[in-house]
Amino acid sequence: MHQDLRGAASRGLAGALGTPGPSAGTSAVPTPSRWRRGTGILLGCLTALPASLYFLVAGAALGPFLLWPRTRADALGLLMTGARTLTALERGRRTLFFADRFPEHYTASDQKILRYLAVRCYTGLLCAVVIALLGFGTVLAGLLADGVWRGSLGWEELLTQAGLGGVLLFLDLQGLRSLAALDARSAVECFGPSERELLQRRIDELAASRAAVVRAVDAERRRIERDLHDGVQQRLVALAMLLGRARRSRDPERTDALLLQAHEESQGVLTELREVAWRAYPSALDSLGLREALGGVAERCGIPLRIRYEVDTPLSRPVETAAYFVVSEAVTNAAKHSCATAVEVRAAVHGERLVLRIEDDGKGGADPAGSGLSGLRGRVDALDGVLDVESPLGGPTIVTAELPCA
Amino acid sequence: MRVILAEDSALLREGLVRLLADEGHEVVAALGDAVTLPEQVDELRPDIVVVDIRMPPTHTVEGLRAAVEIRERRPETGVLVLSQHIERTYAVQLLASNAERVGYLLKDRVAQVEEFLDALERVHSGGAVIDPEVVRQLLVRTTHADPLARLTPRERSVLEALAQGYTNTAIAEKLHISVSAVEKNLNAVFDKLDLSHTTGYNRRILAVLRYLQS
Repeated sequence: MHQDLRGAASRGLAGALGTPGPSAGTSAVPTPSRWRRGTGILLGCLTALPASLYFLVAGAALGPFLLWPRTRADALGLLMTGARTLTALERGRRTLFFADRFPEHYTASDQKILRYLAVRCYTGLLCAVVIALLGFGTVLAGLLADGVWRGSLGWEELLTQAGLGGVLLFLDLQGLRSLAALDARSAVECFGPSERELLQRRIDELAASRAAVVRAVDAERRRIERDLHDGVQQRLVALAMLLGRARRSRDPERTDALLLQAHEESQGVLTELREVAWRAYPSALDSLGLREALGGVAERCGIPLRIRYEVDTPLSRPVETAAYFVVSEAVTNAAKHSCATAVEVRAAVHGERLVLRIEDDGKGGADPAGSGLSGLRGRVDALDGVLDVESPLGGPTIVTAELPCA
Repeated sequence: MRVILAEDSALLREGLVRLLADEGHEVVAALGDAVTLPEQVDELRPDIVVVDIRMPPTHTVEGLRAAVEIRERRPETGVLVLSQHIERTYAVQLLASNAERVGYLLKDRVAQVEEFLDALERVHSGGAVIDPEVVRQLLVRTTHADPLARLTPRERSVLEALAQGYTNTAIAEKLHISVSAVEKNLNAVFDKLDLSHTTGYNRRILAVLRYLQS
């Protein structure tokens, strides 16, 4: 789940995390040797001392200023400067001895840093105590062995001591192990986004993409309404007017001419209706698939359109539909706004992703935040895809969309 | 009569120009938007303006704004507004200031050539024309709390005809009843709508407006 989340968050455009945290991708890094990790743990006990001292000294010195509202901000700033330095040391220790990898561009909040340092003091000092107990246990075990060697120890006493020692040794090692795990976990929480943050980020992404989908659908409906009203309906009214005039006419020849016009106009209405229906949803997409539907875009496009279709795996319906609308919208934009004389579309599958690339030779300067492109972005985001628009002034415009096929 | 047309669909504009020419009217200007319409009216002084509500650049209510402006500046000019859908608000806006020489028609009504030409004539001769569809929808919407709901079917049909701008004589012909029966029904309508006894003509318009604002 943790890994899924990381993957999910790093897939989004805005939610790119840089490199994933230590719990993801550790398999790619060889686990350091036991000695190295042991050294890291011992060092962790040592670094907990300055941190504890810092809290004691700096906390005592800055305490009054922290309580007084006027100086609180400055005092907190001072406290945080030291805390951040100490935390950076800890981060170095985790990276060096435990091969943890943290996201580079992640800055933890003040609250997180302080909480981490507090936990560090506690785990480090407790770890020191546990290690000291282990040393003390070792000395006791040595004395016991010595007693057995000299024969000054009875069997009963030896068994009692060994049983008790064994239980205490188990508890001690278990404690050491738990403290090491806690140290690792608190570092992950501090130096990278926590699971909660990742979830929050994913929820924000989903909410934004859901809103964008609704907007895109509404924009499409508006377009269909406009198409029907400005095209089909006007033509039908004009046709009915021709027929009305033909009925009112007293001159048979004139009536014939008007009827002929009306008949031609009715053909025009039919063509228009077919176009509107196709723009609303290309039925070829359902019956013949993406390749044929893209062919339909090429037929209807006012400028020469070259399609390189290099997809040999079957695609799911939502991906095909989104891909079709991305291409159709991008090509329409190119034909309408960019003064392009040619457009090239390339569809290919790279790994688990369908990559679409639409390039025109127009004048560029397309606004990625414009209604057409933001509608496309909404469609692509809904499938966890990525849309990229490069449109320098003077052209060319390249729209790239990556859609996960899985 | 001299007509100015404002309609963004070139096809329909052309059709209207031909239709009006067939009927012997003179189209002095045919515009594709409503931006210059009031100026053109000032300049050319047409008898009547036919304007579509939805026009470039925003395709919302440009035509309606221009129509209201023309009615304020040149009340002697007849204005016939064509609407994509029935919107009571538009009708009320048009009729609120003065319910003479004004018409509000569903755009598709143009296809019924006789009705359209008839509406044009009635607006030209000083009447107020409201699309039968507007009236029908209003009647459907009325509830029992509404005074309109208390009208008998005959009274309703009389009011409906009145709202479309017909005179008493024309209503009598249309409904195949006597003129006195029309008057009797109309008086019953005025009573039920609590209209103050002002002059007859005003009352007629008030009835229509009451009807639209219900």
